[in-house]
Amino acid sequence: MGVMVGKKAPDFTAKAFHKGAEKEIKLSDFNGKWVMLCFYPADFTCV
Amino acid sequence: MDSNFSHKVWQEVELSRMVKGGIPFPMIADAGGKIGSMYGVYDEEGGVDVRGRFLIDPAGVLQAMEVLTPPVGRNVLEVLRQLKAYQHHQKTGELMPSGWQPGKPTLPPGTQALARAGHVWEIWKVENAF
Repeated sequence: MGVMVGKKAPDFTAKAFHKGAEKEIKLSDFNGKWVMLCFYPADFTCV
Repeated sequence: MDSNFSHKVWQEVELSRMVKGGIPFPMIADAGGKIGSMYGVYDEEGGVDVRGRFLIDPAGVLQAMEVLTPPVGRNVLEVLRQLKAYQHHQKTGELMPSGWQPGKPTLPPGTQALARAGHVWEIWKVENAF
């Protein structure tokens, strides 16, 4: 599966670590804001 | 990819020593590469998400993306340049030519640009790309 520029970014829900705690994050919670979504192979690697 | 526990340890042991107060944005635990698969950046063989970067606008539309293999890191300044270019375009309708930086010339909005086909050279020079 993949994505296409100019189309809706697929929405998702996931657990995330933020400000010292674990919380649930939904991409569509950020509607109205610009979002940069970054993937990286593993913690303790360069980004 | 890694768990939130791993994110926490990385934040405490290293990132908070690079950035005061630690990384300010959420670090997602992409268990099983579920989100990476949706975005086409999950490498099943290696069991990791590769270096994918996606710029999503306020309407939830994917505007830009970049995918690198693991050994090379990203250019943060380029992401910021693209963000500023998309924001300028969405505000004014102007087109953002190659190498655009804030303060550099833009091209007029859509219909006028078509009328200018073959005449872009008159208003945009190759030096503007650098």
